[in-house]
Amino acid sequence: MTTATPTAPSTASPDNSGVRTPPSTGSIIRATLLVAGAIVMLIPVVWAVLSSFKDTSELAQRPPTILPQDPTFSNYTEALTSFSFLTYFKNSVVVTVAATALTLLINSMAAFALAKYNFRGRNALFLLTLATIMIPLQVILIPVYQVVANLGLVNSLWGLIIPPAATPTGVFLLRQYMLTIPDDLIEAARIDGASEWRIFWRIIMPLCRPALAVVAIFSIIWRWNDFLWPLIVAQDESVYTLPVALARFNGQQVVPFNLVLAMSVLTILPVVIIFLVLQRHILTGIAQTGLK
Amino acid sequence: MSTTTAVAGAPETGRPPTGPPPRATAARSRNRWAPWLFVAPNMLVFLVFTIWPAINGFNISFYDSRNGRTFTPVGTGNYTRILGDDEFWGVVRHTVVFVVAFVVVTMVLATALALLLNAQQRGRGVLRAAYFLPVLLSPVVVGLIWGWALERRVGLVNTITEAIGLGQPGWLIDPTLAMTCTVLVGVWTHLGFYALILLSGLQGIDGNVYEAARLDGSSTWQTIRLITLPLLRPTMLVVLILSTITGFQAFDFIYTLTGGGPTGSTTLIVQYIYEQAFESPIRYGLASAAGVILFVTIFGITLLNYLLGRRQEAV
Repeated sequence: MTTATPTAPSTASPDNSGVRTPPSTGSIIRATLLVAGAIVMLIPVVWAVLSSFKDTSELAQRPPTILPQDPTFSNYTEALTSFSFLTYFKNSVVVTVAATALTLLINSMAAFALAKYNFRGRNALFLLTLATIMIPLQVILIPVYQVVANLGLVNSLWGLIIPPAATPTGVFLLRQYMLTIPDDLIEAARIDGASEWRIFWRIIMPLCRPALAVVAIFSIIWRWNDFLWPLIVAQDESVYTLPVALARFNGQQVVPFNLVLAMSVLTILPVVIIFLVLQRHILTGIAQTGLK
Repeated sequence: MSTTTAVAGAPETGRPPTGPPPRATAARSRNRWAPWLFVAPNMLVFLVFTIWPAINGFNISFYDSRNGRTFTPVGTGNYTRILGDDEFWGVVRHTVVFVVAFVVVTMVLATALALLLNAQQRGRGVLRAAYFLPVLLSPVVVGLIWGWALERRVGLVNTITEAIGLGQPGWLIDPTLAMTCTVLVGVWTHLGFYALILLSGLQGIDGNVYEAARLDGSSTWQTIRLITLPLLRPTMLVVLILSTITGFQAFDFIYTLTGGGPTGSTTLIVQYIYEQAFESPIRYGLASAAGVILFVTIFGITLLNYLLGRRQEAV
């Protein structure tokens, strides 16, 4: 804001929340609205988790019970034994971990070049990278599938991992962060005879940890939940990820809902745990970058 | 985005003029190749899986195929066929209805939520987390859970509506209600994300302007309308662009919520492309023409939003 006054630093006081003078009724209405909304946000998820511990007869009961009368793990044990659940789970883990590692590596390498070298074509490459934010996968589904099919990557986990790995947003975020690292550090290392790779790997990467963490968290959540691309590439059951398996089984209508429910809860569980542990990181990361 | 900000201090010019040891020439020639080697892997993946397909997408849209392997050139045949196809126009209509409703409801609710959260001191962290949680859930699971909650006879929602005497509406059976539910589930999923962006925009507003307004005797509502919202406009523009793009891309949760039904009433453009290209009968030509049309639409609307937003700011 251009209207900075000498008292500007005081805006950090608890009074920066906007309008003061709320009459107590106003703040009560506000709190009620917020809590009611939060309940609407959470109820479906809580309901699904609670219901996953009910047996089939209790699930069919009307009116439905709220808490499981006789909590049971039978839905989970049955889901684990009647499908290749562990295969889908393993595929999801492999894709998420490998794709995130690949994204972090190639994004940060590109970001390093774009942030710390002067070379002809640098700005053109950076603009090209940014421009691809405007080309979501959905609009180039068919041509990308053609490429993947020609490379023989259909029905392979590599076909899931590699194509979306060069995220433009990751390059952008890491580059912006690397710009804040002083060039003197790099110069000093060069004079000491460090190779360019060593400078990147031993000096830049450790300093970029906060930015790398943000990119990693987003990549993990996105890849774990990703659906459209895996749906197209993973046509064979042996390479299904969890979301693909869930959608396929649900579409066939032959899988009992209690098992779909248990698999759903197991699918969202890792992400919910990550969120509860890294909440601050995730929320501030998104607030600062506008990514998800 | 600060794409044009000058890169601080180029490494080469920062070298002391006294002359480094003889090794420097070797280092310099090494440096000339180093940036290219560093960008190469990322750019290779980009070129092969984004840029080349984006170019090739236009090319493919002038061919047709029944199996995805052999292609016959059809000129502009795909476009004339798709523009004369009632099913496609139905999909376009549903997509426009969905995107407009999704963007409007999202903008209103996310702004209201951000204003409320910004004013709330106690328990803000917990509330923010609660609203944000759905953003992280697998959209496939979101569709499954809501589809189950909205089920006509045993669903959670109809248990409540029946208890309060509203009967058992067929939420996912009636086309209009199904579209309404699809929009609302989409909003439910993304609300926390956009509210978070708007909240950080609100927190970037200088507290002194509120103080000045208060001293001038401005009411809460006046302050919001005349001060907060105008200052929040740049952030709202970002949310407008992001939510529009998200709306056009909607697919995952709808696939498990309604499957595009009843009778295609919630089939949006991405699902149409997916089905034409990958479900039999395969109609590749229509799918790739629709892909190009979606591409041009998203590109055009983003540009329009951006330019309009800029002009308003300049006024």
